[in-house]
Amino acid sequence: MTYAYLFKYIIIGDTGVGKSCLLLQFTDKRFQPVHDLTIGVEFGARMVNIDGKQIKLQIWDTAGQESFRSITRSYYRGAAGALLVYDITRRETFNHLTSWLEDARQHSSSNMVIMLIGNKSDLESRRDVKREEGEAFAREHGLIFMETSAKTACNVEEAFINTAKEIYRKIQQGLFDVHNEANGIKIGPQQCISTSVGPSASQRNSSEIGSNSGCC
Amino acid sequence: MGRGVAMMRGHETKPAPSGTECPLVPAYPTGRLGRLQRHLLSGEFDQLRDFPIFESNFVQVTRLGEVANKVTMGVAASSPALELPDLLLLAGPAKDNGCLQLFGLFPLQFVQLFVHDESRWQLKVKFRTGRAFYLQLRAPAEIRDREFGQWVRLLYRLRFHSAEGAVPFTQEYSTVEDGEDDQDDDTIEREELQAMEARLDPQTSELWGL
Repeated sequence: MTYAYLFKYIIIGDTGVGKSCLLLQFTDKRFQPVHDLTIGVEFGARMVNIDGKQIKLQIWDTAGQESFRSITRSYYRGAAGALLVYDITRRETFNHLTSWLEDARQHSSSNMVIMLIGNKSDLESRRDVKREEGEAFAREHGLIFMETSAKTACNVEEAFINTAKEIYRKIQQGLFDVHNEANGIKIGPQQCISTSVGPSASQRNSSEIGSNSGCC
Repeated sequence: MGRGVAMMRGHETKPAPSGTECPLVPAYPTGRLGRLQRHLLSGEFDQLRDFPIFESNFVQVTRLGEVANKVTMGVAASSPALELPDLLLLAGPAKDNGCLQLFGLFPLQFVQLFVHDESRWQLKVKFRTGRAFYLQLRAPAEIRDREFGQWVRLLYRLRFHSAEGAVPFTQEYSTVEDGEDDQDDDTIEREELQAMEARLDPQTSELWGL
């Protein structure tokens, strides 16, 4: 399958915030309430369509547990986008964001687009972090912000796709050198502006930017 | 890890490596690239592209041997300076087009590999989290025993390495699981250690002396 660009993403954040569930929802459109602890890195991929261009998202879902962190952070290198995830029902996962952000910025390109995600928005009754706090943190650190629910799929598409949209915008502005592997962007094997792509499980339906369910 | 002069299966004597002096060069047991290695070389995984890999094709089976799905498993060294692989790579056919897709990359210090059933060429892969699964080697009959033997030797070496306290699970490694321990002794391990060191010699064209 041809694509114009490949973007490498990393998903980072404390253990149990729903990183693997977000990936599974994005690639397979399903939710798995019980998920094995991630050790190392697990991979997912999906095609999206941005501005008429096929873009392959190669997603590195990293272990959140502290004991694996020193190993997985070596794989942050060369990421074009990062989803930094916390759990809106667990204050401590929000408190640890600064540490994750430092790690990400230290081991990645300065141009990396970071999407801050407050996950588990379906658990409103157990909310421990206000949406405004997430927004303020994102504003302060120059991040994009969304609240999502991997369980209901609310805003999951948007989180991944809006990140890609921002990376693509930076490419067009010349902020990303697409020939520099360290930026986490690769030009596809064949520059191909296709209009449609067949759906699949792991590289599912191409998605147009700008769609917003507004569910959260 | 012991160092010194090592001989390996008829190759001329070479100084054994120490530290990063003698970098590991990619080598392939069958003399050609495996599917996983080719996938990593395809250009989408820059960070993993140059890893030396030892890999085989398997089918995942249940504990009782019922076949589930195809898996390609490899062990890789994240640095050419390493004397043993430190990563486990798992891949399988993508659901949509059947092309090989990398599923995960796991530090070997959090994974245990066992021989589950030698007569059926089956390995057991057990993660630190407790998750475990069984893989049966998928290879032409004429090379199956030899290829499985390479995995068995690798398992011994990983175990011996861990027995020095470099990684967790020392106690579990020292226990017998699935009967894979019956020929283990110090002498064999020492010989294998020497072979392992010798494999760093680019002339040997063997990865980890397997």
